[in-house]
Amino acid sequence: MSSVKPERWHRVEELYNAALELAVDERMQFLKDACRDDPTLCQELESLLSYEERDEQFINRPAFEVVAELMADENARVLEPDKRSGKTISHFRVLERLGQGGMGIVFRAEDIHLGRQVALKFLPEETRDAQALQRLQREARAASSLNHPNICAIHEIGEHEGEFFIAMELLEGQSLDRRIGGRPLPLEECLTIGIQVTEALQVAHRKGIIHRDIKPANIFVTSQGQAKILDFGLAKLSPTVTGVGDSERDQRDEGVQAPREIEQSPIPDPLLSRTGVAMGTAGYMSPEQVRGEKLDVRTDLFSFGLVLYEMATGHRAFEGETGPALHSAILTQAPVPAGQLNPKLPNKLGQIISKALEKNRDTRYQTVSDVRADLEILKRETERRNPLRRRILASALVLALLIISASLWFAKRQPPSTQAPPEIKFRQLTLNSAENPVRNGAISPNGKYLAYVDKLGMHVKDFATGSIQDVAQPPDLKKDSVNWEVNSASWFPDNARFLANAYPASEPQESWSSRAADIWVFSRTAQAPRKLREHAIAWGVSRDGARIAFGTNAGRLGERETWLMDSEGKQARKLFDTEENSALTGFYWSADDQRGLDFRTDASGDTLLSRDLQGGPPVALLTPAEMKQIRGDISWLPDGRLIYQVSEPGSEPASFASPQDTCNFWTLQLDVHTGKPIEKAKRLTNWTGFCNAEYANATADGKRLAFLRRAVAWTVYVADLEAGGTRISNLRHFTLNESTDFPRDWTNDSKQVVFISDRTGQFAFYKQSLDEDAPERISTGTGSLLATLGTAVSPDGKWLLSNSGDWPGDRKDPKLIRIPIAGGSPELVTTTVWASTISCARSPSSLCVLGEKTEDRKRLIFTSIDVLKGRGPELARFDLDPGIDYLNVDISPDGTRLAMSGNPKGPIHILNLRDHSEQVIPAKFNNLVGDFHWAADGKGLYVPDQTKRGTEISYLDLHGNKRVLWVNPSGWNTSARPSPDGRHLAIQISSVTSNIWMMENF
Amino acid sequence: MEAPQSHEVTALLRAWSAGDAEALEKLTPLVYRELHRAARRYMVGERSGHTLQATALINEVYMRLVDVRNIDWQNRAHFLAMCAQLMRQILTDFARSRHYQKRGGRAHHLPLNEALVISSQPDRNLVELDEALKRLALFDDRKSRVVELRFFGGLDVNETAQVLKISSQTVMRDWRLARTWLLRELSGDEQREA
Repeated sequence: MSSVKPERWHRVEELYNAALELAVDERMQFLKDACRDDPTLCQELESLLSYEERDEQFINRPAFEVVAELMADENARVLEPDKRSGKTISHFRVLERLGQGGMGIVFRAEDIHLGRQVALKFLPEETRDAQALQRLQREARAASSLNHPNICAIHEIGEHEGEFFIAMELLEGQSLDRRIGGRPLPLEECLTIGIQVTEALQVAHRKGIIHRDIKPANIFVTSQGQAKILDFGLAKLSPTVTGVGDSERDQRDEGVQAPREIEQSPIPDPLLSRTGVAMGTAGYMSPEQVRGEKLDVRTDLFSFGLVLYEMATGHRAFEGETGPALHSAILTQAPVPAGQLNPKLPNKLGQIISKALEKNRDTRYQTVSDVRADLEILKRETERRNPLRRRILASALVLALLIISASLWFAKRQPPSTQAPPEIKFRQLTLNSAENPVRNGAISPNGKYLAYVDKLGMHVKDFATGSIQDVAQPPDLKKDSVNWEVNSASWFPDNARFLANAYPASEPQESWSSRAADIWVFSRTAQAPRKLREHAIAWGVSRDGARIAFGTNAGRLGERETWLMDSEGKQARKLFDTEENSALTGFYWSADDQRGLDFRTDASGDTLLSRDLQGGPPVALLTPAEMKQIRGDISWLPDGRLIYQVSEPGSEPASFASPQDTCNFWTLQLDVHTGKPIEKAKRLTNWTGFCNAEYANATADGKRLAFLRRAVAWTVYVADLEAGGTRISNLRHFTLNESTDFPRDWTNDSKQVVFISDRTGQFAFYKQSLDEDAPERISTGTGSLLATLGTAVSPDGKWLLSNSGDWPGDRKDPKLIRIPIAGGSPELVTTTVWASTISCARSPSSLCVLGEKTEDRKRLIFTSIDVLKGRGPELARFDLDPGIDYLNVDISPDGTRLAMSGNPKGPIHILNLRDHSEQVIPAKFNNLVGDFHWAADGKGLYVPDQTKRGTEISYLDLHGNKRVLWVNPSGWNTSARPSPDGRHLAIQISSVTSNIWMMENF
Repeated sequence: MEAPQSHEVTALLRAWSAGDAEALEKLTPLVYRELHRAARRYMVGERSGHTLQATALINEVYMRLVDVRNIDWQNRAHFLAMCAQLMRQILTDFARSRHYQKRGGRAHHLPLNEALVISSQPDRNLVELDEALKRLALFDDRKSRVVELRFFGGLDVNETAQVLKISSQTVMRDWRLARTWLLRELSGDEQREA
């Protein structure tokens, strides 16, 4: 390989960048002109440019993610070996397993006669009855007659020892499902695959064969980029297509012919082992299929529309937790318009998708050739158009920002401010739980009332009395048919009336727009609500209450026009508008109602503009680059100050375990009359501990600012146990702080919960009595939460044993330490290995058990531990899968048995320490997200399992019978630990709460 | 026992960055552990919610590796750069070990069409990518660093710009050309460069 000379490379770069600015058909001429005297330069550029659009997936995700996914694939494969490998079945030698799904298990096999490799599919047992077999044969024969490059060819149908198999074309590549992987495909690929699928469907439909189960998992994209439809004609057999809502069966129906390449070891489709996507097939049914009607070719067109939608947006059009919810969505709801999820999408594609997704099959595309024609026209148009890619707009995925914020981990300690900051106070105005998050709201101008909306409806809180009054809904609106939004500045100055926007309940908040929204006026004082305007979103009431600014005429990015009307909804007139590829958001009135601020959004981002209502050009106050630092909403105070939250790299994170970056409030003094800044922006707060204050709005005196604040919380709850520990009651929040708290154990008298908390800024151990609401500190700071994952109270109740080996810093020298429960310094018990487990029985037993993995991770060795003397004899060994990181061990209260699992899907093993017998609890789990623990009587376990409903805490008896005690719907990472007397349960709960807060004295 | 040992990770990073090969041996298991953790999450379908941002996972990893509360980074950019280098080294080593395990050390050249589905065979291609990056660095170090920071380090455009002290636009342009160049390198086409 010749080395590249810097000057030459520089020239290549220059021309390359210049060429990319041009349309494809102009590039050639440009290059010809540019390198007339250097043809090799021209060749080099042509060569490079030919790769420009080739593989958008190439290095588009962090390498870490790619490798982790690969590992997941391998783990899945290791977990499910199969007995057929290596055998000869008919004239096929089975080589290796490729994947498994509702349509059976697929193997790579060699056809001994023909010497070619094929995919061999064995059908699931439930299709093995005589009738099913007949039907299968008929269908498969028909399908095998389909000879088309975009249909996976069926070579042979046969039977071997009562097992039915289909030999078919072996494909290399990946399923479309996987290809999409949650991200939109490049337009060109989306169209190419779409067209190929329609070509295949056309051939099939012409022969009267309907696929019935078109979905991304059934479409394969070969390494040559060719689409292949799988399982043609087999869908009729699929239990999920004929039956509805059987979740166990649905789970198996993620069947694909897994992607293969010859030399690479096989990677089964990871969906096979995932649980969150169980509704796969149900989510791709047509309305008529859901209703169980007779099907015709148009059912495939609907399903194809869903595939197109998913390719274009990266999202499923219909997602639901349960079969019935999904089915009702398919029957009644319009999916979020594809163009909203992917702003880059041409309108035309959005229209094609919509037409394919018409619920009524008579208004849908009637034949597949119609869709194909439209796709082909669009493809031609796109190829002609200038391919300069528009910049992707930052999408406002509030929740994603909330849970994981990208910049927190390089946060730096804030140097102390030299100037004494004003004593700013924060106060929580609503006290909603995680189950009922506050969605939006506004404080009245006099600061006495708060109108807000939560899951249960609209309310007004009166701060003087603390009472909360439900606001009656308009009688002519069907219950729950709309979602309400009380926007900032919704109140009139009379402190009685306020505005609310009504959006169809079917629209998720991300896609709220004026298209289907109406503005209503409500009154705190009994007057009936009244609709003021349709197809509009209220931005805000002027300070004198005479005018209402609202947005209307939604375009691709949002509202395109801002209008004014009077307080009765009359005399509406357009104030200003913006061009097609931009949008206007909000309208913040100045103190004298003569000016306003709003946001203009376009490809470069958001710009905050200051406008004179009398006309004249707007003044840009904050540029897109500056706006990127701003989190949440802005507010314009009567004194002319603009107030907003800025995400600062220099600020401290809220908490180690609640990963939100922190933001500070800043102000920018604007001239009230000109709307222009007269001072530099100033920081108001030193630390707030949260970001994304939304729906910010100030009282008329500008002294109080209310806003919506979301928080991720880890807290300890306590419940009472009844019926031998198989039922809970009186579930209550136990550690009442806003800190991050994790329960670790109980004191021996069952009166105190031992937990770890970061309430002082560092993690430390605490104990708190059941009848008290403040804890006592046991240890000084341990520095990190992860340092204390393994923790147990010693059998005599005097010590807390803690494994500090889980923390990277201790990697060299992990230790087991003891801390006096009465308080004091930690002392060394013994050194241990990386990530060991510690668990203790209760008195009269004196046994603690340390679980340590061997170096090769293949074995777990249990050693007895005496809290004072240290290491005792080895108790038992257990084989582990080195590829799986999960490990949970708990010793029974009487010290005779260990419950342990090395796999988050189970099973749980019971090792008897006396006779060394081993029992397996016959129960499977979706995902054991937290620790499981023995019940006090040693007859069962409390097990946390993550399901579609949330995290379930169950009582599991040793025969595998499970009884769900409680479900944490809004969280994950839940676990439960009973008190030694079996009367209480300490539950670790994580949740996202959303409440309105207020800032004062700023 | 009281003082957190998390500074050790930072110290190890610095030591490794300064050429201490032993530090890498200590850091590798930490990253592997995180890989296992992430892999497990993939297996249980956490990703199917699609709500996580592309860079969220890697950021979580960094957060778990270092105690963010107790770090006083004198030079954030330097830290990011070190993390990216570390990831490149460890992930490439990981891929390399698997690669040889599978092929018994045989050299293997990819035909063009297979290279295009690079995302489905990351182990083999990570190694080749790493090698191609080294070649790129010979004549355009900045572009190779842009790829290192973004692909291996998981940084976004702005973070990359901050580390390299160049504009985001430059990062985008560098990324685009580097990506194309690398894709061509990995496709195994004869280089037409005269």
